[in-house]
Amino acid sequence: METRKPKARQVREKLCGILLTLLFFAPLTAGAQNPIIRDQFTADPTARVFDGKVYLYPSHDILSPEEQERKNWFTMADYHVFSSADLVNWTDHGIILSQERVPWGNPKAYSMWAPDCVCKDGKYYFYFPDAPKSGRGFAVGVAVADRPEGPFTCEPEPMPGVTGIDPCVLLDDDGSAYIYWSGMGLRGARLKENMKELATESQAMEGLPEGFKEGPFAFKRDGWYYLTFPWVRKQQGGTETLAYAMSRSPLGPWDFKGIIMAEHANRCWTNHHSLVQYQGQWYLFYHHNDFSPRDDKRRSARIERLAFNPDGTIQEVRPTLRGVGISKATERIDVDRYSEAGDVVTVSYVDSLNPFQGWSVMLPRKGSWLRYADVDFSTVKDGYLVVCVRAHANTELLVRERSPKGKVMARMPVTVVNERGPFRRDMSGQWLTLTAPLVFVPQGTADLVLTCEGEGVEVDWLQFKNRPEYFVPASGAEARPDERGFIRRWMLLEPIRQDVRSNVVFTNTWLREAFGKTYFKDQMTIRPKDGQRVKVGQQTLRWHSLDSRNYNVKLFRFAERWGEQTYGSLFWGVALVDSPEELTDVRLAAGSNGASMWWLNGEEVLLLEGDRRMVEDDGMSGRLTLRQGQNVLRFALINGPGLSDCCVRFLDEKGNPITNLTIR
Amino acid sequence: MKRLFAILFTAQLSQLTSMAQVGQPYIHDPSTIAECNGRYYTFGTGVGGLISEDGWTWHGGAERPGGGAAPDVLKIGDRYLIVYGATGGGLGGGHNGRILTMWNRTLDPKSPDFHFTRPIEVCSSDGMEDQDAIDPGLLLDPTTDRLWVSYGTYFGTIRLIELDPATGERIKGNKERDIAIDCEATDLLYRDGWYYLLGTHGTCCDGVNSTYNIVVGRSRSVEGPYLDNVGRDMFHGGGRMVVAAGDRKTGPGHFGRTVIDEGVEVMSCHFEADLDRSGRSVLGLLPLLWRNGWPVAGEAVKAGTYEIQSERRGYSLELAVDFIRMEQERERFWDMDLTKPLKALPEQRLEDVVATWPEGNIPLRCGDYMFRPHQHWTLTPVPEAGGTLCGPLFTIQIAGTRRALTATASLELTTCDFQGREGQYWRIEQLTDGTYRILPHTIPGQSGRNTRYCLYSVGDSTPTLAEYDFHSDNSKWNLRRQ
Repeated sequence: METRKPKARQVREKLCGILLTLLFFAPLTAGAQNPIIRDQFTADPTARVFDGKVYLYPSHDILSPEEQERKNWFTMADYHVFSSADLVNWTDHGIILSQERVPWGNPKAYSMWAPDCVCKDGKYYFYFPDAPKSGRGFAVGVAVADRPEGPFTCEPEPMPGVTGIDPCVLLDDDGSAYIYWSGMGLRGARLKENMKELATESQAMEGLPEGFKEGPFAFKRDGWYYLTFPWVRKQQGGTETLAYAMSRSPLGPWDFKGIIMAEHANRCWTNHHSLVQYQGQWYLFYHHNDFSPRDDKRRSARIERLAFNPDGTIQEVRPTLRGVGISKATERIDVDRYSEAGDVVTVSYVDSLNPFQGWSVMLPRKGSWLRYADVDFSTVKDGYLVVCVRAHANTELLVRERSPKGKVMARMPVTVVNERGPFRRDMSGQWLTLTAPLVFVPQGTADLVLTCEGEGVEVDWLQFKNRPEYFVPASGAEARPDERGFIRRWMLLEPIRQDVRSNVVFTNTWLREAFGKTYFKDQMTIRPKDGQRVKVGQQTLRWHSLDSRNYNVKLFRFAERWGEQTYGSLFWGVALVDSPEELTDVRLAAGSNGASMWWLNGEEVLLLEGDRRMVEDDGMSGRLTLRQGQNVLRFALINGPGLSDCCVRFLDEKGNPITNLTIR
Repeated sequence: MKRLFAILFTAQLSQLTSMAQVGQPYIHDPSTIAECNGRYYTFGTGVGGLISEDGWTWHGGAERPGGGAAPDVLKIGDRYLIVYGATGGGLGGGHNGRILTMWNRTLDPKSPDFHFTRPIEVCSSDGMEDQDAIDPGLLLDPTTDRLWVSYGTYFGTIRLIELDPATGERIKGNKERDIAIDCEATDLLYRDGWYYLLGTHGTCCDGVNSTYNIVVGRSRSVEGPYLDNVGRDMFHGGGRMVVAAGDRKTGPGHFGRTVIDEGVEVMSCHFEADLDRSGRSVLGLLPLLWRNGWPVAGEAVKAGTYEIQSERRGYSLELAVDFIRMEQERERFWDMDLTKPLKALPEQRLEDVVATWPEGNIPLRCGDYMFRPHQHWTLTPVPEAGGTLCGPLFTIQIAGTRRALTATASLELTTCDFQGREGQYWRIEQLTDGTYRILPHTIPGQSGRNTRYCLYSVGDSTPTLAEYDFHSDNSKWNLRRQ
């Protein structure tokens, strides 16, 4: 005899259920690939379109608990619902029903098999199989909600007359509804208005081929009724295909048409599916045991595109790793979920003990390649490539557009062993995150192709990242200091090469000599124009008029973009500072990474010496006078290794920044 | 008298005693000191680390796989979380950094439980950004039990991320936050409602010329902004000095804090070069003081002769002997001959008074400081007798004699001939307010190390041994060098 739960506990569980439903929003970033849900198992995926979004009602496989009678069998204790507007990003709305909350169900049966959900007259009817408390086999229950994600209220009794599993409901154009299920073959019946009871005696579906069938999914398209179902064809290995039949009437008799998807290549015994049209495209949802390689009772939902022939028949669908949806170039792309590959590309788990960690793909030799379809590059501006790779010897990976001979987007040298110099290191066999500049960026959406150009290389993921914007071309005739007084508009000369390997040499004497040398004509008087060139030894260098995005002027990034080298550089900068009035007793406050010298109107006012980092207000000039009208502020900054940058402002006697200036 | 001269100046030994850690304390980028089964451990750049039995004498032998740079260690529950940079940062290594965490149930490489879990990457820098993911420091926030890591180097920013203290993994969805520039080897700590970010500034790895130094900013939120004492954000290069070069050692870096008792704190670091040890990089342990809410390093107690002054009244610890008057030719103040040349009077010397002192035990009292021989104490470090994280053990003797301050079984004080026995070795620890506590290392009749009873002013004039209480000035003393 079942002991009754105390009332308080019932209420608490009910509240828990509601809370879970309302609060357990865990947005997943799947990444547009198969399988689509990456943090739990999801079998028997029924997809429905409600309110312009796709809702997914799968069964929820879990590992078998101790108490389950039949070990390593199908184990499902509850249902989650997921939704997505783009078939890429899925939101988990949490548990909508669990086995303890089915009034007629056995709370320890773990038998919450393939469900369905339909919407009629604003109500959502959720159909699910479960083992009843008494008796054997399966019954089918109904739970009702006002929203697709619940909360669902379960009917007190199962549907009379339905014995079996895998319910599916078809809503016809005339408002009538039909239910199909699997119980000693596939059966169907018309539903009453209330959607909870059969209006007709159930009948066996006629015209279907011999062999085991289950999981019916029925729909209507262009006047044809389709009955689709997992089917075991005897002659081919004895695992499930997805097959279908067509009819002009909802309950048949049916005309068998053939296969939608062949048996899984890895002998995963089951397959179970649904078909849905979304934004003009038909999709097949199905499952595979992606996250459970040694046990085909824990499965994961996948999606492929599907197409009909003009006569209404369905074109066979091949399972892919890539799945559907467009991947954003600026998000992590798991290229192990590729669309197509040449040679013997192999996919393996990153962590064989935890398949949910995902996969990596091995490009085993020179010439190996893979193609990953549909990457949206529209968000890549000043980008670079990041790839997570592992190799056992130095090699190179190319990322190309469209085909193995396509245009090169980035060259990624994979240097795992460095035998030279003081920084010898061996990183062979380690996962490394490497970066490379982009030489070409496709427009819009494109396929990318990875090619191996040397020894074998394994790839986990790649991503295109945008570089921060450090500078923009100076715009407008004049700029103001920022609110804290920092001067951000500068005329900067491309860096002069210097053979400085260490910053410990930056003594006062050394710097006076270095900054005192003449590098180019009119060095101490020039008021350069944007684009103006000067000759410095063998180098021809250009002045750039720029606005810094930051209060500190990131000269390292300036050198990276416009210079020959970043380390070992001498920078020159000029700002023409207009003051509306004469300002006395002001000080120039500067900080620089690298040593720097500052001149105002031709007079040296500050020297920052030594191996120094940029600190706001690090050094101060003596008291100065800013003339009314134009003043010329000039600096030279030298750095060996390090992130060259500087920040400078004028402060008044009390230390307040002077912002009432214009800079040309 | 003869006997007295024969035993003079045992303190001479101290002239050669370095105040740095003894043993072979060679390390770079030491992790915060961790304790495991009564031993102390610290791990550095490379694969190894140091072990100490007592806290002061250090030797190699700690093991940490994974190589890379600058680990930190924190005990969480009954496990140790180790975080380290897999790369070395810098020029040849590029700025493509990775930070990993792993666990161990013990730090003792000889224990059967010694096994590191598989390292997990918690953050990385991709080599193209203004960031280099090395030099992690851990903070388990005592107010929230949330686990934070600060990391980064001069190449760009110092970042903050959050880990799950149960797994050592990054909290899902946690976004890194930039909290400072212009430093490296950072560490976070929490104290009295403030979060402190300690960073190392200056030039590293240049031996005796390294200008490395440790600076600090503070914030009411662990996520910053961390401001220095003039209100400047560490994100703009701000920072207030905690410790710079000194005491014949250059380049302190890589801060770690260890709280020993209430008001007793120690900071660990490395010195880039110890001039007394061929300029090698060594482990440094210094008292950590708090002044107006800012941490500053104290100084190691140096061998020498001191007045030991009570914080209670300001009286001086002295032998309870007769006050011997000094002779003086007095002039009447209304009748001074201003044409007479001034002369310097000699101070009272030990030999002037020592014969008046009794043989054997002489008790103690506190009295007005008159710079007399019975008030002058010579502190001599004796690292071979042991030590603690706060320093080596000391003997405390009346200057020029073997008469040693001695704790008795009845929790009182006496002085008697130094025999190296129980009650004659002392821990001298600088407290966070700059005063000192002075504890007998052992007390006759009590087993084990004494961590409870300290030199204590039970009356203005009466010293004794009593339980240490940071909130009482009776527990505190000042050392005034003579």
